[in-house]
Amino acid sequence: MKITIQNLTKTFPSRNKKEKKENKGGVTAVNDMCIEIPSGKLVGLLGPSGCGKSTTLFMLSGLEQPTSGKIFFDDQDVTTLAAERRGIGLVFQNYALYPHMTVEQNIMFPLVNMRIPKAEAQARALDTARLVQIEDLMARKPSELSGGQQQRVAIARALVKMPNVLLLDEPLSNLDARLRLQTREEIKRIQRETGITTVFVTHDQEEAMSICDTMVVMKLGVVQQIGAPQDIYDDPANLFVANFLGTPPINIFKGEIRKGKVYIGKEAVATTEIADQPVYVGIRPEGFIYDAKGALTLETDHIEVMGRDKSIVSRHESSTKPTIRSIVDSDVALPKGAAKLTFNVKPNKLFLFNAETEERLI
Amino acid sequence: MAKTKKTSVEPSEEKVTLEEAAIVAEEMPVTAADEVAEQPAAAEETAASFGDKVKAFGGKIKEFFVGVGVKTKDFFGNLFKKDKKTKEEKLGEMAVVAAASDGQIETVVATSLLESKLSAKEKFGRFCRSQSGWLFVLPAVILMAVFTFWPILSAFINAFKQNYSTLTGKYDGWGFENFIRVLKGDTGTGGATFIQCLVNTMVFTFISVPLSTLLALLISVALNSIKPLQKAYQTIYFLPYLTNSLAMGAVFATFFAVIGTTKNTENVGIVNQVLQGLGLLPNETFINWLGTSSPKWVISANLTIPWAKYIVVIIYEVWSGLPFKILILFSALQSVNKQYYDAAKIDGASKNTVLWKITTPMISPMISYLLVTGIMGGMKQYSAIVGLFGEQMGIDYDMGTMVGYIYRYIEDGHMGYAFAGSLILFAIIMIITAINRRISSKKVSY
Repeated sequence: MKITIQNLTKTFPSRNKKEKKENKGGVTAVNDMCIEIPSGKLVGLLGPSGCGKSTTLFMLSGLEQPTSGKIFFDDQDVTTLAAERRGIGLVFQNYALYPHMTVEQNIMFPLVNMRIPKAEAQARALDTARLVQIEDLMARKPSELSGGQQQRVAIARALVKMPNVLLLDEPLSNLDARLRLQTREEIKRIQRETGITTVFVTHDQEEAMSICDTMVVMKLGVVQQIGAPQDIYDDPANLFVANFLGTPPINIFKGEIRKGKVYIGKEAVATTEIADQPVYVGIRPEGFIYDAKGALTLETDHIEVMGRDKSIVSRHESSTKPTIRSIVDSDVALPKGAAKLTFNVKPNKLFLFNAETEERLI
Repeated sequence: MAKTKKTSVEPSEEKVTLEEAAIVAEEMPVTAADEVAEQPAAAEETAASFGDKVKAFGGKIKEFFVGVGVKTKDFFGNLFKKDKKTKEEKLGEMAVVAAASDGQIETVVATSLLESKLSAKEKFGRFCRSQSGWLFVLPAVILMAVFTFWPILSAFINAFKQNYSTLTGKYDGWGFENFIRVLKGDTGTGGATFIQCLVNTMVFTFISVPLSTLLALLISVALNSIKPLQKAYQTIYFLPYLTNSLAMGAVFATFFAVIGTTKNTENVGIVNQVLQGLGLLPNETFINWLGTSSPKWVISANLTIPWAKYIVVIIYEVWSGLPFKILILFSALQSVNKQYYDAAKIDGASKNTVLWKITTPMISPMISYLLVTGIMGGMKQYSAIVGLFGEQMGIDYDMGTMVGYIYRYIEDGHMGYAFAGSLILFAIIMIITAINRRISSKKVSY
């Protein structure tokens, strides 16, 4: 099912009564959001906390009412439709499994509410449990399950009614690191097997990048960029997106364009056709090439050997962050104990941003 | 070892005042710590800065315990001499308490090693120290023994004495006669029988408690779902809790009986008038809710069911039981995570399903608590009946409860019947509580 979001806005009214009357002082969690989610895709809403991604999800689910704007499932306007009539499955951040019911009762609960005969409901519950691989745990109570198992039960409960749309609110945030890796692949698998349009919310860019078909990056209620993960990584729309994606994060320098050359400090690192102006220069960690006669000189702090590659931690007076991280292949021979190293920069890993608007220049 | 050295110290001349004795009794860990203080390693680490003071205080304690051997005459002679503690000593005490936990184990070992070498006096001192926990609970234990344990025991014993007189303490021998007479209704005093009182109590309890719990649940769910005036409603619902039960009984009596009518009959209360107004009663006929001619079913010589009065009592008890139950259930509802309701909404649960499949199980521990305590309280019901029907509890105790029955025989001086009745009540409450526990352990989830 295709989801279309048009000019969606959500404002939480101010607590101050006077301001509330005058419709001022509220908090706009989602601001004029327009996206189109193609049918059968896995879409991630990504952003730092407080960026409105969960609010968007709850508006899709029908638990929150938008202040303005419209939501369409295919061609049906569902903006004012009650949650239970939208045909969606929602997995809560802390799962919200009913603690007094067994796993089976939990999974069957939506079906019981749809007045599906018990035998059929049980069969469907078992099928769904198999899909998420918890068929052995049907008689247990949620308190007797591990976090990962609880999460599968929550997904099964959301899937059992064969929803048109599956919504996941930070589905991995309560799991430990290893389980998180495993579960995110699991989510991807389940989504592929069922072909259900899935929207999921996360603040973890790695998680989003690894499983999403499409990623929506948000900041303070405003959509920053929509696209395939790799596209967004390679071609960020602005400084925020560039900064938010990638581990280790991108290195940002205060620079300047003078006469077709990009300067960091007094060193020209690249050429450009953009008019002269102060800029932010972003260089991905993997964008540095060690060269004894390189264009950019960095003061080396220390070098971390990671096995596959080396991570050079260095400083530069123009850097906006205290340290700069550059990753080079472990085969690259670096001079031992050198206080300064010089690098060339890969042109496709270098981004220029307007110093004021922080929009991408190139 | 430090211990040996200490115990060899002769009883000193220093006087031991009562005040000091009290300190020692209260600061029990001190006893363990004073030895620690003399063991360089343990003491100097734990209470290094207080080391000297601890030693000084340790000496004082030593003197006291050896001083148990000071002649009684001396002890009483010094009773009224005030010997204020110095500031240093107080500091020392604090340090000693801090050091105490570390020293405990060594002390125990040392004590057992040296036990055999001690004199009787010293052994007594040691015993006092090691068993000091008792001193703390002693006041409560004494009070409970006098006012709780002994009366229970006494009731158990005296229930089996025939024709027992509390004045003279005389009785005609042992046996089950009291129980037999109570259960048969053959007490020779007239008035309602034990069976009548038991049935009354059971009916009141097992109708009014579940009913008021159910009503409280519905009201608190409703209360929880509204926003405007929530606090105001909360206050209104809680008001009956602050009202005296006798006063409420009097008001109820007025509702159901005479006052405020033009017809000069005893049975035209406001309730009858409302029922007439609604057409539920044929014209000019009234239900005599509380009076002597109140309708009833006669089951047997020992048992009648005055159903009209039952209705009054049950309405009264439901109403007076509501506030506390609403208070408890409302706060339980507020602590239920809202996310479960969101999840239920997504799962398409109707309001009814949410109430019975989500809300009720979530607060089932509280519901169970209310039922158990409500039933226990219902079994002990007394004042409401007196409030509604007066001291005679209806006509010749026909509305009497179990406690009313017991109280009546205490007043009459038939203590044997009262004892027997109270033991039977005790047994019944025990059985019901056991059943309650069985049920709630199965039904009350998580």
